[in-house]
Amino acid sequence: MLSRTASSFLRRSATRCMSTEAATAVKLNFCLPQETLYKGASVHSVILPGMGGEYGITANHVPYVSQLKPGVVKILHEEGSADPEKYFVAGGYALTHPDSTTDVICPEAVKLDDIDPSEVAKKYDAARTKFSSATAGSIEQAEAQIEMEITKEMGMAIGVSLN
Amino acid sequence: MSSTPVTTFWRVAGMSYLQYINKTAGTMRSVLKEPAKTRAMAQEAYGYNAAVWEAGKQGPKLPVANIQQAGK
Repeated sequence: MLSRTASSFLRRSATRCMSTEAATAVKLNFCLPQETLYKGASVHSVILPGMGGEYGITANHVPYVSQLKPGVVKILHEEGSADPEKYFVAGGYALTHPDSTTDVICPEAVKLDDIDPSEVAKKYDAARTKFSSATAGSIEQAEAQIEMEITKEMGMAIGVSLN
Repeated sequence: MSSTPVTTFWRVAGMSYLQYINKTAGTMRSVLKEPAKTRAMAQEAYGYNAAVWEAGKQGPKLPVANIQQAGK
């Protein structure tokens, strides 16, 4: 009697967690604290700047959780899109669920056109000066390094080379 | 076992993830082009309002210049 109720409970919870059909598209939830960019949008694939490297999610991808580094999120709405929709994000997290729903949560995201190339270059140079003049291991040096990393990534995204 | 810390440079410097992510987001907001920049900078803006209670009654809520002034 006890085993029958336990096994029926497990069967019911398993059907809740896993869908019996394969997903045909990625359901994208892309949100920031101040606005929701996509909610439940059906897309072909999303390419995300994970900490361990850039990776792509298509339908039926293995469930995955990744911290994001500052970089570009590319959304391909249709298969074989020549022109993915790109957002530069400041970091965050991306979670892919077993049913191919992908949640991308970032503190800030902008279109690449909104990035000012001259400001990026100026900020990078200022951060580099701060980095070399700060004491090793201090918070000021860490902050300068953060600024250098993100401005360098932004430069790469918009085609400005900084070093 | 090596004695070098195996973690991110910002943790080694004493920052938390929240401080790190707020710094990256703030840096990103400061290098945007104009209409997007004003909208984004509004995310970082904050202020404080304080109300003084007297004889069991709350006085009006007024903005304070900074948190140090709030208790005065």
